[in-house]
Amino acid sequence: MSERELVTITIDGVEMQGPAGEVLIKVAQDNGNFIPRFCWHPRMKSVGMCRMCLVEVQGPRGPMLLPSCTTRVNDGMEVDTQSAVVKKAQEGVLEYLLINHPLDCPVCDKGGECPLQDHTIAYGPGESRFVEEKRHYEKPIPISDLVLLDRERCILCARCTRFSEEISGDPLIEFKDRGNAVQVITFPDEPFSSYFSGNTVQICPVGALTAVPYRFKARPWDLEAVESVSMVDSVGSKVSVQSSQNTVVRIDGIDNDPTNQGWLSDKDRFIFESIHSEHRLTKPLIKEDGAFREATWGEALDLVGERLAGYTGESVAGLGGANNTNEEAFAFGKFLRTIVVTPHIDAQLDDGLDPHFLIGVTPRASIPDLETAATILLWAGDLKEEYPVLYLRVRRAAAELGANLIVVHPRRTGLDDVATHKIRYQPGRGPDVLREIAAGAGDYEDVKTALAGGPVVAIVGRTGLGEDPRLAEAVAAFARDLPGGKILPLARRGNIVGALDMGLAPTLLPGRVSESTAHDLLEAEWGPLPETRGRGSSGVLEGLRDGDLKALIMLGTDPVRDHADPEAAAAGLAAAEFVVALDHFHTDSTEMADVVLPVHGFGEVEGSVTNTEGRVQKVNRLVPGPGQTRPAWSVLDDLARRMGGDLGAVSAETLAKEIERVAPAYHGVTWDTLDWGSGREGLVLPVEDGVQHLEYIPVDDGLSSSTARYGLHLGRVLYDDGVRVRMSPSLAALAPEAYVFLNAEDAADLDLASDDQVVVEGEYGSVELPVAIDNSLGKGTVYVPANLSATRNLGAAVAVVLSKVESS
Amino acid sequence: MRQVDLTAEETSAIAGWSAESRRRAEEILSLYPEKRSAVMPLLYISMIENAYVTADGMRQVGVLTGLSPAQVQSVASFYTMYKREPVGKYLVGVCTSISCFLLGADDVLAAIEDESGVPDGETGSDGVLSVEHVECNGACGGAPVVLVNWEMIESVTPEKARELVKWLRDGQPEVANTEEMQQLFGGERSFDWGIKEPEGAILPVPAFGPYGSVGEDS
Repeated sequence: MSERELVTITIDGVEMQGPAGEVLIKVAQDNGNFIPRFCWHPRMKSVGMCRMCLVEVQGPRGPMLLPSCTTRVNDGMEVDTQSAVVKKAQEGVLEYLLINHPLDCPVCDKGGECPLQDHTIAYGPGESRFVEEKRHYEKPIPISDLVLLDRERCILCARCTRFSEEISGDPLIEFKDRGNAVQVITFPDEPFSSYFSGNTVQICPVGALTAVPYRFKARPWDLEAVESVSMVDSVGSKVSVQSSQNTVVRIDGIDNDPTNQGWLSDKDRFIFESIHSEHRLTKPLIKEDGAFREATWGEALDLVGERLAGYTGESVAGLGGANNTNEEAFAFGKFLRTIVVTPHIDAQLDDGLDPHFLIGVTPRASIPDLETAATILLWAGDLKEEYPVLYLRVRRAAAELGANLIVVHPRRTGLDDVATHKIRYQPGRGPDVLREIAAGAGDYEDVKTALAGGPVVAIVGRTGLGEDPRLAEAVAAFARDLPGGKILPLARRGNIVGALDMGLAPTLLPGRVSESTAHDLLEAEWGPLPETRGRGSSGVLEGLRDGDLKALIMLGTDPVRDHADPEAAAAGLAAAEFVVALDHFHTDSTEMADVVLPVHGFGEVEGSVTNTEGRVQKVNRLVPGPGQTRPAWSVLDDLARRMGGDLGAVSAETLAKEIERVAPAYHGVTWDTLDWGSGREGLVLPVEDGVQHLEYIPVDDGLSSSTARYGLHLGRVLYDDGVRVRMSPSLAALAPEAYVFLNAEDAADLDLASDDQVVVEGEYGSVELPVAIDNSLGKGTVYVPANLSATRNLGAAVAVVLSKVESS
Repeated sequence: MRQVDLTAEETSAIAGWSAESRRRAEEILSLYPEKRSAVMPLLYISMIENAYVTADGMRQVGVLTGLSPAQVQSVASFYTMYKREPVGKYLVGVCTSISCFLLGADDVLAAIEDESGVPDGETGSDGVLSVEHVECNGACGGAPVVLVNWEMIESVTPEKARELVKWLRDGQPEVANTEEMQQLFGGERSFDWGIKEPEGAILPVPAFGPYGSVGEDS
């Protein structure tokens, strides 16, 4: 985006500047003059529907009453927002809007934070001349499982309909009829089942759209709120977490320009229900004779301390930390490396990318780079399912800002409609496809031409869980040589980049440095560190199974559910002599633990998190944890004392200060900066500065393609059977039904019709599911949604065998 | 005119349409650089295929134009000439705008309602006649105006309107032709309408070439 020329205008006698061609209402707002409005929204196109923003602009024939949301500023423009004519216009508009708007504010969710209410007080006529009957509709009708529509309250500003068309690209709500009968509504049998429906509730200027999880839960003036960051995915969307009587009742988006620009996915927004789930763990649990019993913290910690102290450090391993704050991850790493003294540490479950690549790839793209990209190469999971807010940013880049978008994926994705090129391939054949694109032969000539137009941003990740992670590196190695090529690697879980930055990988130490280069420097701070090379998660599980490792500490991780090979993970945990888990809920893995310690989670902890760009932001504490839950860092600190050491963790903030001191990439990142200073939009840490920092140059190591007849695309879906979705009643109901998706030709080859049962068998397991036809899949591609209760035993294989189940 | 190749999805969405309608749909789509611009003429085609604008019809048009069904519904519900409920074989419209009103349109409408037994805005139970009042048709010089399937009759009296209803109900002509009906039931015409119109409508859809009216395109 080139910087636009500035023009000078006068509003109410005050001179101000704004970019030429910008709408008047925006220039006024940026200069501190708020013009009332309902339909205009800074992130959407102007429509001039509500007429609330009328102002007087001096024209050649005298002052003209113009809507400031559709009037573009010119040099020397003179504007009056306070004249008698403007005031009369505002009164008229409000009187009109209130003709049909019901006065049910006392029972309306929006009452107290309602623009219509506020504007009526500030600019309204004070009384109405309308004595007739108002228009009536059936009070709220559900337009989706999450959103209710009260048509009486609607003032027809078209914010929701424009959002769904312009921003989220799923226009499932629109105006219907005309004149006095106009209403916003869905198509009869197509509910507003958008992944982004909650945004329309947030931007509705009246209480026409309300969210089921928040409805009648609180009044706005009773809410307490903190700024925080959504930890549902690794985009780092800024949120306002709001509570009433120590219960989180709502999450709203905050407009943070580099990341979410105000928008959230419904998963970001409604996952808060899990915070107060009745299934939260609230007391320490000790397993005796195969069953858990409640214990006191003292008893549980004594037991864990005593058991762990009984092992040599290197026979203990630690997994997890990716759903925690940086401070908790740092405490976990420090506990493992200095108290237990083990190098076997991994925050990932072999389901992500190489940790060095993920945190150190250069040149690294940021999300705002998408705004200026000429070409975007997207070779990752389906963003709409996995990173919904990033999906919105890429959609904007392609649909609004004119970037060429090249989507490479085994299946149709949410961005196909705005993509200039779509390449679909059989999982396992990625390396061949990459070579063909690089050669630009045949069908790929156009793609190669598009890629020659820089700057290019390549978004790389694993398209499915079975995809070889080295493919992403090969793509990155190709993309960095393109004109202006930059790489945005996608991390899977919430704070995975933060966890890796805190050293939760066998070959990394805190501060984006590798073990080998920073070992001695950190020893100077921490004392002796383990000297041997650590194992990654697969190695840890294998070690437990083989008896090389004896004990396991898990921090908010569920390898039995999430590891590529669920059976091997379960076998590892079963073979371990002692397993302790710090978690919020029982999971398949905690069920196999000997001791389970309940810890604080999102909304209950203060700390920092790092998103997939490497942007550090602050999460804040709003509510106390339930029951006897404690912060994870404090539990680890107590354990350290019982084992004769000391983490020096007096509070999360002392840990933050230690991170700032010993983690090179985090020098200068303090809570104060993140809360109040230059870091409010998040700090993207430099990767290349300084000798210690990790710089990772990806190479294409000549990966070969799979030759299997059927390649499995095990792709994530937004509402899966993950524990937090499962514990959020509103979201749990939205999980899709499990099918095996095949294209029609493959189905015919196997004599399969829709809903026939088929067994899919891979390296790690098998599932039996009904068939669904999906012709967006290429021949030989089998798509199974990952991590649904019916698909979880499949494991992340690439090559699979299909066999029809004959109905008896 | 662009060559339009329908995708597999588009083809299968309108597989149930007649060959002629499918050909017309392609022809209409080829007229516009943006597919969504074709939504209005395609809605008429879907109306011809399904007798009125059905939910399936809106979905089919949505597939052809790349719009969501809700967006198609938004267009279809804005315009009164897209009928979203079953319409009789003959849609009889009486203009009640200012000129026709001043020259007795209300009496004409009342006569039609009385003779047919079908109230304004409804369809007879035998499915032959629908009656509605309509806004100005631009023939103020020939007020009051009655339309049968959008074929116009000018200067209609209540008596002639009754005869028109009988003629439609008892004779059930294949084609509603403006020239024929004008001679039988009309009075003075406002002026020579100039360009040659197609020779009559066979459905409650305007008689323009693309929609399959009888006769030559103008």
